[in-house]
Amino acid sequence: MKTLSKRKEPKEMVIKTEKINMPFKVKDCALITRMGGVESAVNLRELRDRISSCPIESIFHHFCETFIRPTFDDPEFRNDFAVWSARSLRDRVLAERLGVINPYKLESFEALRELVLDILDERLSELVYIPWVPRGEDFRFMRSVTVVFDTGLTLETVDDLITQLPNMSYSSIYYHFIEARRRTPDKVDDFTEWLSDFGSGTEELQHILKTVDFYYLTLPELKKTLIQALQSRKAEVTHGR
Amino acid sequence: MGGRSLAAYEKVVGPVAISQLTQLARDLAGARIVHVNSTRQGGGVAEILDWLVPLMCDLGLDASWEVIHGNQPFFNVTKSFHNGLQGMAVPLPQSKIDIYESTVAENAERLCPILTEADFVIIHDPQPAFLLNLCPERKGHWIWRGHIDVSHPNRKVWNYLRKIINGYDVSIFSMPDFAQRLNHPQFIIAPSIDPLSEKNREMSQQEIDRVLARFGISKDLPILTQISRFDRFKDPLGVIQAFKMLNSSVDAQLVLAGGTATDDPEGEAILEEVQEAASDDDRIFVLMLPPDSHSTINALQRASTIIIQKSLQEGFGLTVTEAMWKSKPVIGGNVGGIRLQVHNHHTGYLVDTPEGAVLRIRELLRHPDKMALMGENAHEFVKQNFLLTRHLREYLTLMLGLRRGLEHHLVAV
Repeated sequence: MKTLSKRKEPKEMVIKTEKINMPFKVKDCALITRMGGVESAVNLRELRDRISSCPIESIFHHFCETFIRPTFDDPEFRNDFAVWSARSLRDRVLAERLGVINPYKLESFEALRELVLDILDERLSELVYIPWVPRGEDFRFMRSVTVVFDTGLTLETVDDLITQLPNMSYSSIYYHFIEARRRTPDKVDDFTEWLSDFGSGTEELQHILKTVDFYYLTLPELKKTLIQALQSRKAEVTHGR
Repeated sequence: MGGRSLAAYEKVVGPVAISQLTQLARDLAGARIVHVNSTRQGGGVAEILDWLVPLMCDLGLDASWEVIHGNQPFFNVTKSFHNGLQGMAVPLPQSKIDIYESTVAENAERLCPILTEADFVIIHDPQPAFLLNLCPERKGHWIWRGHIDVSHPNRKVWNYLRKIINGYDVSIFSMPDFAQRLNHPQFIIAPSIDPLSEKNREMSQQEIDRVLARFGISKDLPILTQISRFDRFKDPLGVIQAFKMLNSSVDAQLVLAGGTATDDPEGEAILEEVQEAASDDDRIFVLMLPPDSHSTINALQRASTIIIQKSLQEGFGLTVTEAMWKSKPVIGGNVGGIRLQVHNHHTGYLVDTPEGAVLRIRELLRHPDKMALMGENAHEFVKQNFLLTRHLREYLTLMLGLRRGLEHHLVAV
């Protein structure tokens, strides 16, 4: 296992950089998609019915795992339901209403399901006919199996986080910064949770991480945003601002 | 791939992608994995196994590749399975089933001892699928990997094969659209290309020019190329039709290059039809290439102005991925995996008719700047998602998932 040695810290830094008892083990993940075990939907009513009964993992997949799925495409909406509404149902109104949802602002993924169903019911009540898609453009429900593995990299100080972030894979950032919100008790990212163990002095960094509007970014954009945010904060502290 | 090691790919995909593979493979070290298909040369499956098996070994897995043998009547039957799975109306009398099952049974005598002991058996396509029924003492996980478009199969053929495939632990398809009603979990693994293979490696301009000169193709006129087997589903006659419609307005050349696989008895007949259709136009080049013509195909793709893949049915369409890796815009049939790869105005155009192909060829030839931008986009998408390291990672992920239980969404190793 590769462990980063503690480095000499500039005296003027007020960010806590000392070792603590709980080093951060950097993990990575690999995903493989599987069929969701639900019939595909060929019209808006079927989509509504299938969403009401599909496994919650499918809802999670279509909203949250689109970040790390292999694709030839960079669609304008982050979740698959909105993309399908725009491209196959050709209903831009519905696509925009679904596309603006940030699943991580909701209490739970069941609450997300309820919100999506509300939006679909509302749209169904507005339309005079049920929109269908052309043959072959059915909505296919998917889910995934995600394998989490140790990278061998351990962070011991806040400085390690800032310097090692550029070396982390996109899937590692996905796991620690996005997927973590499903796992952690406070629905925060793993970095923020770890920083809170340092006590006072890391609140500002935690605040920076909490305010990143990650859901509408691609993973390369998110990585760049995180690196810039943390490094600029470090520079400010180092220069006494 | 000539025993290329994983380290050789680091320059293309970066150290992180390689490190991910080694970390994932750690928990599978020593696992015995056997792939079975029906041909060592020709077609996309053989090309995939040619790199996949050595790389699995390089990661510490005990992987091997077995091929089932058969005579012409057997391959005629499996070709009709292939056609039937892609929707053609093909008869399936008991006599054909008998030929199929008895030939696989002959192979089973040789293969069952190997397959029974394996931790993971991966059976590619329908030809060897019946092996499962002949190896009742199997120890490991059996995976059926379908590479072809089975989205609208002939019911009779599918009903027969489904009973066999249902016996597997899981199946893998290239796209969600190909998945079927089966009583086990179905996974999606898109295929990929090998960026260092003879077919995809970088080439010098001199090398490319030499290949053009060998076939008498001019480098001063636009080159439109379709690389694919001579197979009805690839619609080579439709491409010739489109080219002839175009010829009055655009001075260009058409190259149709491909071969036939050893398991495809129809290839010769289609080739004759294509040669006949092209015989009255000396700017159409019909090139029947041997299965090992990888560098020739590479040069032809790199020399091309536009790549055409006007298939009527398609699995994933690896020739499209190869073209995109070489930064070429693609005009593709609006079917199968081509739809996944080609996005209108972004990486190329999808067309449904020869007329549609004519329109898009004209448009692209008039806008070289647009072609260049499409080529850049295409290359980047392939680099991020469709190189063999992603493909290998998904196989490892599936095997780890199978070992740890597929009921969980997150599996820690």
